[in-house]
Amino acid sequence: MSGMCRVMVAVLTALAGIASADEPTNPAGGDAKVAGQGEVLFNVMNCDGCHGAGGLGFVGPSLVDGRWRFGGDDAAIFHSIRDGRPHGMPAYGAMLPDAVIWQLVTYLQSQPLPKDVPTIAWP
Amino acid sequence: MLACLPARAVQAEDDGQWTQPGKDFAATRFSELDQITVANVGQLRSVWNFSTGVLSGHEGQPLVVNGTMYVVTPYPNVLYAFDLTKEDYPLRFKYRPDVNPASVGIACCDSVNRGAVYAEGKIVYNLLDGRTVAVDAQTGQEVWKATVADLSRGETITMAPLVVGDRVFVGPSGGEYGIRGWFKALDLATGKLVWEARNLGPDSAVLAKPGIFRSFYDHGTELAERSWAAESWKQGGAPVWGWLSYDPELDLVYYSTGNPGPYNPEQREGDNKWTSSVLARRPGDGSLVWAYQFTPHDNWDYDSNAENILAEIVIRGATRKVLVHFDKNGFAYALDRATGEVLVAEKYVDVNWAQRVDLKTGRPVLNADKQTGKSKGMVQLICPSLEGGKSPASPAAYSPRTGLFYVPTVNLCMDWEARDTAYLPGTPYVGANVPYHPGAGGSLGAFIAWDPAAGKRVWEIKEKFPVWSGALATAGNVVFYGTLDGWLKAADAKTGKPLWKAKVGSGVVGAPITYRGPDGKQYVAVYAGIGGDWFLIAGDIRSDDPADVRPRADFAPDLSRYTSQGGIVWVFAL
Repeated sequence: MSGMCRVMVAVLTALAGIASADEPTNPAGGDAKVAGQGEVLFNVMNCDGCHGAGGLGFVGPSLVDGRWRFGGDDAAIFHSIRDGRPHGMPAYGAMLPDAVIWQLVTYLQSQPLPKDVPTIAWP
Repeated sequence: MLACLPARAVQAEDDGQWTQPGKDFAATRFSELDQITVANVGQLRSVWNFSTGVLSGHEGQPLVVNGTMYVVTPYPNVLYAFDLTKEDYPLRFKYRPDVNPASVGIACCDSVNRGAVYAEGKIVYNLLDGRTVAVDAQTGQEVWKATVADLSRGETITMAPLVVGDRVFVGPSGGEYGIRGWFKALDLATGKLVWEARNLGPDSAVLAKPGIFRSFYDHGTELAERSWAAESWKQGGAPVWGWLSYDPELDLVYYSTGNPGPYNPEQREGDNKWTSSVLARRPGDGSLVWAYQFTPHDNWDYDSNAENILAEIVIRGATRKVLVHFDKNGFAYALDRATGEVLVAEKYVDVNWAQRVDLKTGRPVLNADKQTGKSKGMVQLICPSLEGGKSPASPAAYSPRTGLFYVPTVNLCMDWEARDTAYLPGTPYVGANVPYHPGAGGSLGAFIAWDPAAGKRVWEIKEKFPVWSGALATAGNVVFYGTLDGWLKAADAKTGKPLWKAKVGSGVVGAPITYRGPDGKQYVAVYAGIGGDWFLIAGDIRSDDPADVRPRADFAPDLSRYTSQGGIVWVFAL
């Protein structure tokens, strides 16, 4: 096992430990590198297949409008991905390790939130 | 020069009902009713409407059988039966199946349903969660319910079944979920599986048998396995979410298949048979008699799920029994429906991914700079877009009176950036970013009349937005269609002159029908209720979810100004 692999295993183990808490917080919150890994995963794992390119919304809701059906804090987003939600969000917990789910959470939280604009008007 | 004969072999005498999704086995959507004419259609008025209580896209059409109108909603797939013999059309029954809500997240493109079929006293239709149900048309009691699709594999069902004799034919959606497409025959009396054929994989599963399978262009064995790199056929797509037709004389049932997956074609080198294809099978045992692939190695999501309309037309001086198909790829085809030979293939919208179709080989002549794949980066301005030159969800109509096909069309182009993607059963399997652009000419769609032998537009009515409704043709020489901005419209079948329109409350993605009511009068019915792909891509037409607000689509920025969601059944009469 290379040195890098040892570090990775240690990080993954630590992340998994944190994720098992009742109200988990994002161990990588704000880490731009982890957000970048999450962005790659968002596409490779086909999150965009439902939520659209850049999470702008498709058959699944927008993830970058600053509004959340099930809450937008660390624990809520983590649970949405790991355990799924009614009306279509699959539970990815059996397919993705917690550490990978946190990468996705970090990516989503890194997206710039638009100003909430409830009004659409035409000239 | 065009002369048309009535397609006697496939059209029974018109009884004024609407018992099958496409009106008849030939899927013509043509009615012999002629009380509504070019002269009087201007007096058409709404006589009744009903909110279905469901917001998703209302594709498909009602049925009218024995004085009853049957309406299937999108998920949760409620079946309403309205008594047309009584004032105000009160319900005879309402059937509310227990549909698994998880199916909503496994349906790629809104939780739509394309309708039911009537046979032997039963209304038969599909539930989004992969089951087929038969309901007693009189009492509303469930006769049987059969699980045919596997949600855990990404399979849902949105198509309208067809019944031939004692067989019910069904197929799955899921081309964006890495399914391995199939076509099944169920017993009409019990719902039990009679046979199953795969669209991909070994001949033994595809039911391509020596001496029976004899395609015009493709010869040899194991075509649907050998035309795929490695074992990519195992999650290669080929869903069956469109319309079925049947020729009683040839005893062939026709269906078409959707796109190969994933959208990155470099993960599935080869022709990828039988995706984006039409297949002709024996209804008795499912044997594949012939198949033709409209878009080999489809790398643009050009599903071929569009209807295959059966007609007899004169081509180059000879009367031919043809199957006419308006593919997403922008070509209108007339095929010999006994053999699959391409007799005519012409562009009915702007097309730049291919120059033409070579009738000798049956293959498109490709434009190299519009081929996509991960190694090609962002390929720009491919026409038509993956919404198709026409949506397969919006079936065309054929009038034997005029010899013309009436076709809703879409004028959009796209960029395509493919990338590697991973397959996880039951989740999306896509791998591309595809921005849209308006096509040339200033309108996003048109309703057109098409001469199938000459391969030319005869007339067109330009529309501000893509035309996404089905078409209806009548013996009164009036044709009907709906628009995304919420109008039902009528035009002169011969000239294309607009004759009448009525605002119906939401964009139309369903297909109008006509029938003779118990009072002997001719009626026209249609669903309003925008959705399907437009739920996904229009951006801001949605108003039901405070936690989902999106920017408007930049290619159709005004649509939400004219429509929002909401299912309504409308009935019109003189």
